[in-house]
Parts: sequence; C-alpha cells; structure tokens
Amino acid sequence: MGARLLSVVNMNTKYMATNDGSELAAGRGSGKDEPTNWESPRVQGRARTPYMQMTFAPMERRLDIAVFRAMFASSARQARQFCVHGAVKVNGKVVPYPAYRLNPGDMFQVDPERVLYATGLSKQPPKRSKQPSLTQEGEAIEEVAEAAAEESEVQAAEAEQDPDTTDAPEAAPVDMKPTQKQIQDLTAQAKAILKEPVSAARKRALRKFIQSARLLMSRTSRANASPTEITDELSTLVAELNLGVGKDDKPALKTAASADPIDSLTKSELKQLEQCIEEHMREDQENPYDPSKPYATPWRPRDYMAPFAFIPQYLEVNQNICSAVYLRHPVARKGFAEVPTPYPFEVSQLAFNWYLRRR
Amino acid sequence: MLAVASSITRASVGVARWPTQSLQVPAAAASFSTTASRPKFSKGRRMFREWERRQGRSYRRHNDNATNYLTGRGGDRPFPLNPEFRSPRVLDEKARELVWEKVMREGETIKAVSAEFGIDIRRVAAIVRLKEVEKDWIAKNKPLAKPYSKAVLSMLPTHHINPNEQNAPYEPINEIHVHPYTMQQLFWPTSESRHFTREDAAKAFHPTLLSADKRVPHPELIQMEREVEQGRPVWEASERFKQAVMETERNAAEKQIAKAAHEEKQTTRVNTERFEFRFKQFNSENVGPKGRSRNVVGWRYGTPLDDRSKGHQIKIPISVP
Repeated sequence: MGARLLSVVNMNTKYMATNDGSELAAGRGSGKDEPTNWESPRVQGRARTPYMQMTFAPMERRLDIAVFRAMFASSARQARQFCVHGAVKVNGKVVPYPAYRLNPGDMFQVDPERVLYATGLSKQPPKRSKQPSLTQEGEAIEEVAEAAAEESEVQAAEAEQDPDTTDAPEAAPVDMKPTQKQIQDLTAQAKAILKEPVSAARKRALRKFIQSARLLMSRTSRANASPTEITDELSTLVAELNLGVGKDDKPALKTAASADPIDSLTKSELKQLEQCIEEHMREDQENPYDPSKPYATPWRPRDYMAPFAFIPQYLEVNQNICSAVYLRHPVARKGFAEVPTPYPFEVSQLAFNWYLRRR
Repeated sequence: MLAVASSITRASVGVARWPTQSLQVPAAAASFSTTASRPKFSKGRRMFREWERRQGRSYRRHNDNATNYLTGRGGDRPFPLNPEFRSPRVLDEKARELVWEKVMREGETIKAVSAEFGIDIRRVAAIVRLKEVEKDWIAKNKPLAKPYSKAVLSMLPTHHINPNEQNAPYEPINEIHVHPYTMQQLFWPTSESRHFTREDAAKAFHPTLLSADKRVPHPELIQMEREVEQGRPVWEASERFKQAVMETERNAAEKQIAKAAHEEKQTTRVNTERFEFRFKQFNSENVGPKGRSRNVVGWRYGTPLDDRSKGHQIKIPISVP
C-alpha cells in the first residue's frame, strides 16, 4: 500500500463547459490579470485540505474497522471478534481475517443477530450507584422495572409459560416479578396509545393510569407486598380506564381505546387511527418480546449510542440487511477529511511525521 | 448540593473501609498482584459521574429524529476537537427505494440517476445492489433488522429526495482525484499568444496525463452544459444527455463482455467426471520487475522466497471475487 494521501476536487461542469482553461493563462504578466482580493466578501477564504487527517486512512480499509464504521459493532475489537468468529461475509464468502483490506466495490455482510446483540441494550441491567440522586428517580424506577423484567423473563422461561398468558389477573403468582412485568407492559401500552391522536380527556385518563401504575410498581418492591392485592388494584385501574384485561390484552386495549370515542370521530380520523393501530401491530411483529435472544427484547439501541453515531461517506450501508458496500478509499476535500478521528489537525500531523515520514 | 454531599459521604465511607478492604481484595485479585485496588473514586472518575448525571444525561437515551452530538443537538460534528470531520448525511429509506425503482423498474441508466439526484455513480450502483439483496430477503421471508435500521437512521443526519421535484444534490458527483503528477509546481515557458488549454496543461505535467475534461466521471454533463450554452433547449439537451449516457454504458458493457470472451478463448476446459480442468498459457520467463510479482507465475532463480518468513504465516487474500 502506498502512503499517498488521497484527495479530490469537485469540477464545476458549467464552468468547464464555458471555459477551456486558457482564460487562466491569458494576459499573465502583461497587466491583464487581477490579483485576488482576499478581503472581498465574494471571495471564499482560503481553506486547507487536511491531508494530515488522512494519516490513518489505510486503517479504514481493514475489514474490522469498516464493520465498526458501518455501525454493525459497538467497538473495533468487537468487530474484529465478529470477523474471527465467521460472522462477516465479503461478497458472499466468509472472511475470517479482520486484517483483510477491502477493495472498492466489496460488499460485506454481518449476521443481523450479531448486529442486534452488539448495538442493542444488554440483558443485564447496568450497575448503578447505591444512592441515586433526586433527579434520577424516574429513571431509577425504570431501571428497577427493567431489572425485574429481565429476571421475570428468565423465570418465565424456566416455568415454560407464555408471558402473554401470565398477564391474566387470576393467575396471582406468589412471586412479585410477573406482577411487575404486567404493570410494566400495561404502562408501555398506555404510553404507546398516548402517542397516537386521541382526545384530550382520554390522554388525561391515560396519564393518570400511568402515574397510578408507577405507584403500584414501587409498592411491588416493598417487603410486605401482596401480589393478589396489587393485581386486584391494577385490574380496577384498568377497568376505570375502560380497557379490559383479556388473555390477549394488546389488541383489546387498542380497540377499546378506539371504541370509546368512536362516535365523535369523522371517517378520515377513524381511518388515520386504524392506520396508527396497524403500524403499532406491525412494529410489534417486527420487534417482538423474545426471551431466547441474548439482548433485551423488544430491541432498543444501546445507551449513549447517538453521540457516536455517524457513517463515513466512503461506505454505503443498508441497515435492514446489515450489509454495506465499501465504495472507494477515503479522501480529503478542501476543508474536510473523511477519516473519522477525534484528534485535531496538529496531533495528526505529529502522527504523520512519526509513522509515515520517519520510515 | 445534595449530589455533592452524597459523593463526599461515599468517599469518606471508602476511606473508613480501607483497612478491611485491603485485607479482602487480594483474594479476589489476580494471584500475582499484591496491590489492592483503590476502593475510592478518583477525582476524575467522580467528576465524570457528576457530568454523566447532569449534562451527559441527554446523551443516554435517544428519543427524537435529530442527531445528538457532543457539539450540539442537530449538528453534524461528532468530534469537538476535530472540525474537519463532519458526519455526512445518509440517504433515508424512501430515497433508496426511489433510486432502486428508477434503475430497476423504469430502466434508467445509473449515470442518469446519478446526475438527476446528485448521488455518486458508485453509490447508486451500491444502493441498487443492496436493495436487490433486501428484496431477496423479503421474498425468502428472512427477517430484516427493521428496529435497528429505524433506530440508527434516527440518530444520523438524513437526506430526503422528493420524487417529481427538483432536489438539492446529495453529494458532489464530478470529483477527480488530485493526481500526484499535478502536485508539483511547474514552470512551463510558452509564448504569450498561445491558446493554452486544460489539455495542454495536462500534457505539460506528463505526456500520459489526461485532461480534467476526460477524467471527470460525468463528461456527458459538460457536453450537455455546452449545448445549453449554444442555445439548445434544456429538455432537448437533457434527452441527448440521456442518450449519450446510455451509449457510454452500452460501450462499457460490451467491453466487459469482450474481455470475458477473450479470457474464455485463452482457456481450454477439459471436463472429467469429477473435475473441470482449465488450462491457460503462461510464460514462466515473466517474473515481474523484482522477480516475485504477484500477478505472474514465473520465479527468477535465486530470488529468496519469503513465504516462510515471519509475518507471512497467515495468508490473507487480497481480493474476494
């Protein structure tokens, strides 16, 4: 691999069509040429092409780095592991070499299950500090609920019970975890309905329900909590909401939500609501609850993913099939470099001098 | 105030526990380590926790459809210290679908689609290729990673294309590489009266260097602009552009077919029951400039083979066909 630092310039087609280049040479030295006035607002300021930021461009060609850059793994080391474990294919063939240097036009695929595991919320809840501050209370409750949900998942799997059927209030389990799960599920559904266009009164009722459910949730974690009592209370809450708890309460919830103000809705609104419900159902189907998966289900992205989310321009990624094409080598442009690096120009320059010029 | 107090108590508790901790820790640590890990939060770590709880809280969960980088919400600079890297926009699902439809359903050429939407030629081809795989998965009922796709696209800056409308270009499409021959300063004396064009400039740098007009990915676009400049109506010029682009693509395809046919002509296939043997003519005298070129079969006598030296044990392929 040559150590040439690649850069490109964009050619203006209109300018090229009207000029053949001779205008730049015409009258030079005979007083015809005008020196550029850099103070003029119409003249764009000088911007350097950051060649030094391209020092580590050859690294971007590596298969493991490309997998990481395409956001299929949460770190370069994890991407490397995916390669070594045979989860990465290049042009349809398994390539177990993380150091394989991609050629322009190579398509690489990663096993979607691995990608979902790498980028999804983990099953184990993250360890928290013992004394959450006041501002964190809401999230702390969520955290507890999550932890409870994970544990209940394991237990549900052990008992070989479908978690959907345990939602029935008469089940009255001795352990609190299924109850917590139930409360949590109902809250999630209520929140989902809140996002849809429903009437203000309905929204108020839903919010009240969510609040009461939160109180109930905190009661479940007490030592003297009785599951039957809490389930009863929950069922009364649900009855108040006019939702009805059935074996398969999700569609019931939605139809009830739409059935109540159904007379006051116009046809177009009804259609919109139906579409909303359909979309929710589809989302549920795409992202189901599945305790057999190695990540938390329904799938959610990992914490702190957004501040690090970017896909460089030399890749074209299709997230649906967890595949990407390495289009070309990364290049520098006037003012910008395509190699992602957190370091400023000066640091990269030192690295360039050390690694490439010193050879 | 409360958080500060809590952190102080935690620190003081840690200090109070120190003697007992130091007795317990070595059992849990590695056998060769005699140093107990410090049970106290370092200042940096404590401050990081503090930041995580306050300013950093908004980065934990992603809720809306905008980017959320350290340099600001909705921005495009992920690295605060490196202003020379921008997070590029990615095409959203609808735009990709539109590109696929243009190429596969309406039968437009890749170059024409590239010029219409301002997407790089290679990217258009890649989008179509990936979309084809996606359609194949759907046909085979293979589950797609939809929730992942939705989450990731909501975190990235996206580019939307409105069909049947004039759209802003997605990226520059007429880029050429800065050739090393052109990176030197050159003093080239010519007469003042000479009409010194880009063609001549390229020749001055190197006799084999092509001019910028020939090196751009879309030379047909320049021709179209020229025709518009000469007074041809825009729609007619664009039709002629489409014709020219189709011609170019046909030529490229024909060239590829001819190359494959030539390759086929060079090989002799012998079919046996188990194998198909393919024979080709090679010149063993051809060894390349250093005697060990990768693309030749010959080997110059005396050239040391480095296939058993260190660092060559793992044979990593250089291309996957």
